[in-house]
Amino acid sequence: MAQVELSKVSKQFGATKVVRGIDLKIEDNEFIVLVGPSGCGKSTVLRMIAGLESVSSGEIRIGDRPVNQVAPKDRNVAMVFQNYALYPHMSVYENMAFSLKMAKESRDEIERKVREAAEILELTPYLDRKPAALSGGQRQRVAMGRAIVRSPSVFLFDEPLSNLDAQLRTQMRMELKKLHLKMNTTTIYVTHDQIEAMTLADRIVILKDGEIQQVGTPIEVFERPVNRFVAGFIGNPPINMLSATISGAGPGTMLAMGSLHLPIPPQPACHDGQRVLAGIRPDAIEIGSRLVGLRTDWHVQAEVVLAEILGGHSLLEFTVGDISMIAELEGRIIARPGEKVALGFDLDRLLLFDPQSGLALR
Amino acid sequence: MRNHDRIKALCTLSPSIILIGIFVYGFIGNTFWISLTDWGGVASLAENPVKNFTGFGNYTELFAGFLGGSFRQDLVNAVYYSVSLLAGAIGIGLFLAVLLDNKPVGEAFFRTVFLYPMSLSFIVTGTIWRWMLSPQGGVNILPTYVGLDPLQFRWLSSTEAVMEFDWQNLLQIALYILAAVLIIWGLWQVKQQPRRAMSRLLVPGVVLGGGAWLGGDILPKALFMEEMHGFNLATLGIIMATVWQYSGYTMALYLAGFTGISQDLRDAAMLDGASSASYYRHIALPMVKPITISAVIILSHISLKMFDLIFAMTGPDNGSTGHPALNMYLTTFRANEFSRGAAIAIILFLIAATFIIPYLISSYRQRRIR
Repeated sequence: MAQVELSKVSKQFGATKVVRGIDLKIEDNEFIVLVGPSGCGKSTVLRMIAGLESVSSGEIRIGDRPVNQVAPKDRNVAMVFQNYALYPHMSVYENMAFSLKMAKESRDEIERKVREAAEILELTPYLDRKPAALSGGQRQRVAMGRAIVRSPSVFLFDEPLSNLDAQLRTQMRMELKKLHLKMNTTTIYVTHDQIEAMTLADRIVILKDGEIQQVGTPIEVFERPVNRFVAGFIGNPPINMLSATISGAGPGTMLAMGSLHLPIPPQPACHDGQRVLAGIRPDAIEIGSRLVGLRTDWHVQAEVVLAEILGGHSLLEFTVGDISMIAELEGRIIARPGEKVALGFDLDRLLLFDPQSGLALR
Repeated sequence: MRNHDRIKALCTLSPSIILIGIFVYGFIGNTFWISLTDWGGVASLAENPVKNFTGFGNYTELFAGFLGGSFRQDLVNAVYYSVSLLAGAIGIGLFLAVLLDNKPVGEAFFRTVFLYPMSLSFIVTGTIWRWMLSPQGGVNILPTYVGLDPLQFRWLSSTEAVMEFDWQNLLQIALYILAAVLIIWGLWQVKQQPRRAMSRLLVPGVVLGGGAWLGGDILPKALFMEEMHGFNLATLGIIMATVWQYSGYTMALYLAGFTGISQDLRDAAMLDGASSASYYRHIALPMVKPITISAVIILSHISLKMFDLIFAMTGPDNGSTGHPALNMYLTTFRANEFSRGAAIAIILFLIAATFIIPYLISSYRQRRIR
């Protein structure tokens, strides 16, 4: 178990800068998720921590020692790859035993550790099988087993669930979380799937173009994104982002979005007449009995464009005047296109951004 | 399949089936038939030569007869030649492939350089190497560049031989080899399945080897007289030339295999603590096993059929560097001993088949599994 610290870490491939001076401190036992769009450098950061990629500048420390010049095998980290990277000619047992064999552990010790890991991951019946004879989920478990037999100080996961189907992904995600609670090992997890990020992470690191945008707990990055990118990237369905103008100040502050004018809480960071981007989360829009909790001047008459029922909740695309938005609503909303419905905005959760810099205004 | 398709398929395939039937299998059959006759000697080129059925007389003569000595030496040459070529070309090819797999500077350039000899014909290779191995030139004068005396070794005309054995004791030697194979295989398996390795391989191997050693005198002799054969040093030059020509080829085979292994596997092995050497030993080599098998099959049948390279390097009449394929040509078309030449051809055919048929069976099975 160890903390991991990155100081001003950069990576360059030729003239292309992939990672630009990242500073990040990962605490002991923490589950941290690196998330970002393709090409944001998240996998490169992970590979640099593993030692599979050299660091162009800056320093990586695992525990209390700098590891820039330490070979991957001596960093005491274990990695689970997206395509599992199981050795196809070896049985499940041999796959899991390989690192212990390389570490010249005794035969009995290897047997004990592999059986123990197999027990935790429910792989005991498959120990003699080759990877080709396993299902995707089982292969994923073998890859995890290979990582845990070594009791590493840091686990690295590189999009480990993206090759699985949706149902299995949810199941494996939960198993992963349970495994982390059981093993209590520092874990760094790379994904582009924000649901994985939100559900697994103690803290999320959002990357874009090789730079950290925000580091925070899942709730923090969801409710208080530092910029427009984070607000747009986290959350599904994505946040409604609209051009708007602030008028007035203090208790009389108003937000004008097209023809829609709504009173909003005081915005000390804004001034009268300022143009802003207004972000309203789809789940900050309410309907029916839930309107009761909202100020009445936040209620609007909306026209339904499309209603989709997703089991326990519904997505509603609607227009108010000349603006259109998506709402994520509790319960099953049955509404025909063109129908008028009463909706309410929870503007206490309103997010405002500067249209030029994209930074949050608060 | 519809009848119409069947007829179409039959029409398209039958010409080649008929041609292959006649010109490959028919002629193999005909050669075998000739090998069982006594066609040869003075009137062999007569309009209707006499062909009497003599059974396996030609084969007995070749393996145990007075006149078969040169064939036996050629056969021994072929065995040493094949083993050396396999070890040399696969060993060097693998070594080069590992070097290039680590992406040194100029990798593409070196790949072409190493593969280039493959594009030459054996006659060209043979001529170049004959010059290089001439007694007063090429390789022999290399030491003079660093102030040493030139080498005196006669690469292509040496009459020395090493690892000699008496053909009389062929049966005993065969038993020794079989015993050695059983014991080595047994030691290989002893970790995984100790009991089975003991009972099926190790004990029979030791008993067989011991029996052959103790009872050597009572074993039937293959020949009525002593006849020494060994590894003729004059074949060294030919082996070097062939290894030079085929190392690049095996390198290309292995390199293709190594490149096909995903980078993730390599990364995983590195994180698992494997050094570069253990990566190749435990991961890369076992994964390219099918390539090793193909290389063994291809090289062994090339070495069994070797003719033009030897012809170009030492001519057809150099006894020390003879080869069964060359012997077959000389026996058939120079001595006009058609039936004996046919027998040599059939022997070569059977040896090649022992390599190729198991390979074909296993690849056919794999295809069916897939």
